[in-house]
Amino acid sequence: MRGLLATMGRELRGYFVSPLGWVVATGFLFFHGLSFQTIVDYLNDPRAPAAMTPLDFFFGGTLFYWLALLFVAPVLTMRLLSEERKTGTIEMLLTAPVTEGQVVLGKYFGALVFYLFLWLPTVIYALLLARHLPLDWGPVAASYLGTLGIGALFLAVGTFTSALTRNQVVAAVGSFALMFLLFLPAFLEFLVNDPAIRDAVQYLNLYQHMDEFSKGIVDSRRLVYYVSVSALFLFLTSRALAANKGR
Amino acid sequence: MLEAHDLTRRYGDFTAVDDISFTVGEGEILGMLGPNGAGKTTTIRMLTGFLPPTRGEVRVAGHDLASEPLRARRQIGYLPENVALYPEMRVEEYLAYRARLEGLGRAEAKRAIGEVNERCLIEEVRRQIIGTLSKGFRQRVGLAAAILHQPRVLVLDEPTVGLDPKQIIAIRELIRELGQAHTLLLSTHILPEVELLCQRVIIIDRGRIVDQGTPDSLHERWRGNSLVRLALKGDPADGEEQIRRLPGVLAVRRDPAVAGRYAVEGGREADLREPLFRLAVERGWVLLELAEERASLEDIFVRLTTRDVVAEGAVDEPREETVAAAAGGPEAAARPAEPAGGEEVPS
Repeated sequence: MRGLLATMGRELRGYFVSPLGWVVATGFLFFHGLSFQTIVDYLNDPRAPAAMTPLDFFFGGTLFYWLALLFVAPVLTMRLLSEERKTGTIEMLLTAPVTEGQVVLGKYFGALVFYLFLWLPTVIYALLLARHLPLDWGPVAASYLGTLGIGALFLAVGTFTSALTRNQVVAAVGSFALMFLLFLPAFLEFLVNDPAIRDAVQYLNLYQHMDEFSKGIVDSRRLVYYVSVSALFLFLTSRALAANKGR
Repeated sequence: MLEAHDLTRRYGDFTAVDDISFTVGEGEILGMLGPNGAGKTTTIRMLTGFLPPTRGEVRVAGHDLASEPLRARRQIGYLPENVALYPEMRVEEYLAYRARLEGLGRAEAKRAIGEVNERCLIEEVRRQIIGTLSKGFRQRVGLAAAILHQPRVLVLDEPTVGLDPKQIIAIRELIRELGQAHTLLLSTHILPEVELLCQRVIIIDRGRIVDQGTPDSLHERWRGNSLVRLALKGDPADGEEQIRRLPGVLAVRRDPAVAGRYAVEGGREADLREPLFRLAVERGWVLLELAEERASLEDIFVRLTTRDVVAEGAVDEPREETVAAAAGGPEAAARPAEPAGGEEVPS
């Protein structure tokens, strides 16, 4: 546990003292600010559909959300393990009295906490809305839960590819490709006729998931999906780390 | 305290380390000597748990590295060959991080950091960012981090590589000091380091242990024929001839550069200094220089790790071997004299 906390603390601190962390945070907030502003402008127009709330759109309803996620997760995770391997600090880490699992989880949770930190300021948008109209906090909480779940999934994928290479760019591109693969069912759903396959695709459709969350529907199957696939990737990461020992 | 049994590491068809076994006793300083690429770092990585061996086992303070990895690793302090640190961290942050990785509590870590700061003389750079440190300081920070948790075994892989002479002396001083409190395994390709610091030496070449023993016993075993260096004033005409006639003299070589200087070779156990002195007195020669030369560990090392010279029978039949080696021309003969060369030239 101490090993986990130690690596997590160092990783987290790394985001805050490196320019990368702040560049990502700035870009992330800029994008989401733009997204929020656009959504509010759009819904202020009398011609807009009446059934939608701004946060419906904000969480997963626009391309902003998914682009930001698909961009941020690889960038946050790309250096986690590849950099340690490149500089050789991995040798110190793996000869310290900590397990590979602790190292992997420490780094993963470091990235996850920073990811949550990125989302933190967006709570202001909800607060802003609450000042002007009655806001149901249930869907808001569900949206953040979904955002956490999908983020956890993507970051686990990124941690995995980071363990496979010394090159951060390769790690980032690899994780982007894998994440895109996980997002693919969102496109496929419309192209499948077979009802059984369509069910399966729907189960994996992250876009659909966020749509539910933003309406306040928390389906435990979604959470099981995120947690189990994240766990699988983290397990693979620690295996990859062990297999690459000494190299 | 540190035991290696039949350690072997293969990379495909290439065997980097071949069946190496040795133990380092409690409080001992063992030197691991070998040319670059001999398998020192591979061996050390297997000892510290970074590289799983193809075959063989490692025990650290009684703990098997494969079955009790965390317990075994806790007893090891390791300074890798290329001391890799996090360049963006401050020295004290790094040490605090390492202390946490080693499982030290907050108060314990604070005390340990204070102590290693003092021992490794890094107090002055405590607040500095690691990326801005000189190589010497980085090495010291690496050492400080390796001893933070008071390991019983300290493994140092080429600790003085890339340092300037002043830094080398400082690090050696520190290693000597650490050797008093820890069991120490020191890998190096620098010979004086081993002669200076180690109680016992294993010589590794091409993944195998080619010889081991105390520096003295290695000298004893590999010293070969005795050699006396002699300088006569005015280079007497019959000098060489007269020396050659002395009983016990096997060969005489003139120094082609300086007139009147000779290298006189005798049997393994012979000491030719006295007969040479008496001869000089008898003939009325003025003796400018008379010195016995011993094969340095460096010569032994070169001979052990240079292919053709290492024959199985080398120990049993030293004569031919050494004559052949000594006859390797002025260069080969001059090498042992190098450290004192500066003083000899004026004569």
